[in-house]
Amino acid sequence: MNTFRRTWWKTAVGLVLTALMLFPLYWMINVSLTKREAVRSGDLYPKAFTLQNYRTVLGDQIPYLGTSLLVGFGTVVLTILIAAPAAYALSKLFVPGRRLLNFLLIVAQMIPAVVMALGFYTIYTNIGILDTVWGLILADSTIAVPFGVMLFSAFMAGIPRELLQAAQIDGASYWRTFRSVVLPVSRNSAVTVGLFAFLWAWSDFLFASTLNRDGGKLRPITMGLYDYIGSQNQEWGPLMATAVVASVPTAVLLVVAQRYVAAGVTAGAVKD
Amino acid sequence: MGIQTPAPAPSLEPALEEQDAETGRTHRHRRRRVRPTTWAGLAFVAPLVAYLAVFYAYPLYENVSMSLHRYTRATFVTGQAPFVGFDIYREVLASPQFWPTVRQTATFVIVSLVFQYAIGLGLAVFFHRGFRLSGLLRALFLVPWLLPIIVSATTWQWMMDADNGILNRFLGVFGVDPIWWLNNEHSLWAVTIANIWLGIPFNLVILYSGLQNIPTDLYEAASLDGAGAWRQFRTITFPLLRPVTAITLLLGFVYTLKVVDIVWIMTMGTGTSQTLATWAYSMAFGKGASALIQYSQASVVGTILLLVALLMGFVYLFVQRRQED
Amino acid sequence: MITTRSNHRLTVFAGVAAGAALVTSLAACSSGSGGGSSDDKTGAKITTINVWDPYPQYDDSSDWAKYLQSCAPEGTTLKRTTAATADLLNNLTTAVKEDNAPDVVMLDNPAVPEAASAGLVAPAEDVGIDTSGFDANLAGPGTVSGTTYGVPIGANTLGLYYNADILKKAGVDPASITSWDALNAALEKVTKAGDKGITFAGISGEEGVFQFLPWFWGAGANLKEPGSAQATEAGQLVSDWIGKGYAPKSAISDNQSASWDLFLTGKYAFAENGSWFAQAASTQKKFKAVMMPIPGKDGGSAPVPTGGEFVLAPTHKSNAAGHYAAAKQVIECLVGKDNQVKTADKLGYFAANKDQRQKQIDSDAIWKPWAAAIESAQGRTTDLGSAYTPTSAALSTALQSSLNAAGDADAVKQAFSAISAG
Repeated sequence: MNTFRRTWWKTAVGLVLTALMLFPLYWMINVSLTKREAVRSGDLYPKAFTLQNYRTVLGDQIPYLGTSLLVGFGTVVLTILIAAPAAYALSKLFVPGRRLLNFLLIVAQMIPAVVMALGFYTIYTNIGILDTVWGLILADSTIAVPFGVMLFSAFMAGIPRELLQAAQIDGASYWRTFRSVVLPVSRNSAVTVGLFAFLWAWSDFLFASTLNRDGGKLRPITMGLYDYIGSQNQEWGPLMATAVVASVPTAVLLVVAQRYVAAGVTAGAVKD
Repeated sequence: MGIQTPAPAPSLEPALEEQDAETGRTHRHRRRRVRPTTWAGLAFVAPLVAYLAVFYAYPLYENVSMSLHRYTRATFVTGQAPFVGFDIYREVLASPQFWPTVRQTATFVIVSLVFQYAIGLGLAVFFHRGFRLSGLLRALFLVPWLLPIIVSATTWQWMMDADNGILNRFLGVFGVDPIWWLNNEHSLWAVTIANIWLGIPFNLVILYSGLQNIPTDLYEAASLDGAGAWRQFRTITFPLLRPVTAITLLLGFVYTLKVVDIVWIMTMGTGTSQTLATWAYSMAFGKGASALIQYSQASVVGTILLLVALLMGFVYLFVQRRQED
Repeated sequence: MITTRSNHRLTVFAGVAAGAALVTSLAACSSGSGGGSSDDKTGAKITTINVWDPYPQYDDSSDWAKYLQSCAPEGTTLKRTTAATADLLNNLTTAVKEDNAPDVVMLDNPAVPEAASAGLVAPAEDVGIDTSGFDANLAGPGTVSGTTYGVPIGANTLGLYYNADILKKAGVDPASITSWDALNAALEKVTKAGDKGITFAGISGEEGVFQFLPWFWGAGANLKEPGSAQATEAGQLVSDWIGKGYAPKSAISDNQSASWDLFLTGKYAFAENGSWFAQAASTQKKFKAVMMPIPGKDGGSAPVPTGGEFVLAPTHKSNAAGHYAAAKQVIECLVGKDNQVKTADKLGYFAANKDQRQKQIDSDAIWKPWAAAIESAQGRTTDLGSAYTPTSAALSTALQSSLNAAGDADAVKQAFSAISAG
């Protein structure tokens, strides 16, 4: 009780800050509940209230939501599969040319996505994975892999050398050391990398619009949104409603992931 | 707290620093030639190297190649653009738009970075000492990232509406005259504010994980010595966070430099809100002010952005080495 | 240091080798796929016909999508892909480059000359499209340097909507608004009465220029001289609207849909917008929305630009004959004489043939006020062909500066004289 009494003001400040940060979110919900004639009235609450937008959206957009989740999780798995071992090697093992590799990772993140997308289009056409979910996962992972390697290795470098040496004295191979010591201890950073990979994949539009245009219902929600943006007519109500519907599962996911970060920390400490 | 509980403070050094290569161990490695560690290391990075080669080499090559050939829509299709050497570089550098755009980009990036980092760090410290609901609120701080950018950018555009926007109405309460946020003169500030908002979650997450890795006993010792909160921050938090700070700022720099979507949706890069990235985008797609598609000019600007990133990479390595000494 | 450097070389080499391998394998792939049976006259029959349209607002269960499906010839399936207007030309460019283009594409009319001169679309004669019977002003953009590439799927244009309730309240007779002066006087009256003036789309790019052209042409300006004194007058007109508070400041970034949403709030007296909103204007019940022709500077109605898409067959390298045969069937179904009205109705457009259009207008009263406007509408690319694109870009820049100047005459003058200089 005592600690709560001492920190209640922090909770209050935290609530205010979160409210400020989430104001655009509120605006999105506000517009999603407003009739078209009033979307630009700038009312602070949905004065011209309607649920019609949600009715439209729930009928149209659910398949896209599934695709987005699939692409998001696929990107997370692929990113961690490639980034974690590489980061282990870069931070704990001797790799020739590592400085150059680190450097390339920085530069890699700088290549404009536009250029990447056009390059992929050529490659994908030739190997026949244009307009597939797998192609999109591959492309989306390119946003997250360099970041993942850098973040993983920044945190893996903090793993005490003695921990790894102990494992090796027990006769564990590098692979086993990686799997049974390094990975569990890095769970925290894995969640962070995974989170970012997911969010980037989730919000990608450029790759989807270049590489997955013909995907039909197997297109992500960011493209589904554009169904409401015609050339001369844009329906902001349904669009915002879609954004709200799409945010709910991911927001839940985010809160759970955050819990997991905390849990991972404690578990790691206990294990030591 | 933190997985590195048993680790002493120096182990916070991130791996981008060449721990092995820079210490005496390097020489031992060399003398023994290929040690098993090396083989193992190579095996572990092999997927990454293959991945980089497949996915980055070709687009990178394409980008540079396009900047040296004069492409139009027609020659883009046939692939038979004439080679012109550095002509297009000269044209872009001589363009009256170039230097103003560079200045605007610099303002956009630096102001965004400073505020994103400062706010992100403040929030990370704030959330670090847990309080009721802190976990939930911290998670909610990430929600802006879930919003499709077209939604958040459009919302900002409406909030900044000159006649009817909530921001001007709010400022009006304090007697501030309505500001025309999205006109040529102010649009740079409008998009910078929105971009700061967009970058806060990223900074918060990374800096918060960094804070978690600072051993709590350091703080305990400091508070036994009678150090107040501000001194603890100055002598423990900030110095020990320096490696994480470096990586956050570097990544933030790179991402801000290439950001297009939020600026594009809010202003289409009109007026002072044009940055090198939006300029390249409008030329590469023939959108906005540049109705005519200009692949080669866009590639030139893209290559310039790459060079800037390269330069930042050097600065980063240099700072790192100084930190090691 | 020496050690690191030699390592560099190793890694660089590995990278280059991998890159080279990749490029070689790509080359191998593309040369392998090129050998289709393209040389015979009729070509291999296409069983899946790909159609691209810029109407993402119509999903697969919409009337338009179903109608399009009904145009699939016997024994084939029709696959529809849709994208925003602004992206379609670029998507087509990449697709033609990889010989991956659809069989039929619907392109915004000012994009047709550029697509044609870049070799993205096939001449109508090669495909076998019947190009006769369309109104010359509407079919104009389809012809580039004497070759006709495609035909309009329908047409639309701009008009001046007004909120009859607001005009009545302010004591303005809509019939009196026949010149810019009369319009400005009306705007002054309604704003004095406490309402707002006019919404229009001044967004950067082609869409803003499309909405500017009625004032530009209405002042007597010509696209061949986009920096003329008449053009400056048009720029001054819209600039003053912002400066005097008749138009919302957001006009600099509003597109036509955003500007329509503002009009729908019921607070604005006028809205310059397209015929595609005619249906929406008559069905909304908040206020009485009526349309009148856009006035020219000194009286009479101003020439308005034609809008709407053209239906075309993209270029193919392999099995061109097969693709064109498929395209011909679908295009004939869409714009053949008997189907024109049906197609146009699905899209909210006018048929591009005078007689057909008359039937359409006779059957639905909301089209009546538009009949004269569509007849006298001008093609944007008619005068300049593919040179329209850079001119439009320059006009867009000048328009943006003028709107930002909010009435400042010197700034407007400078913005337009910069066009002639450049």
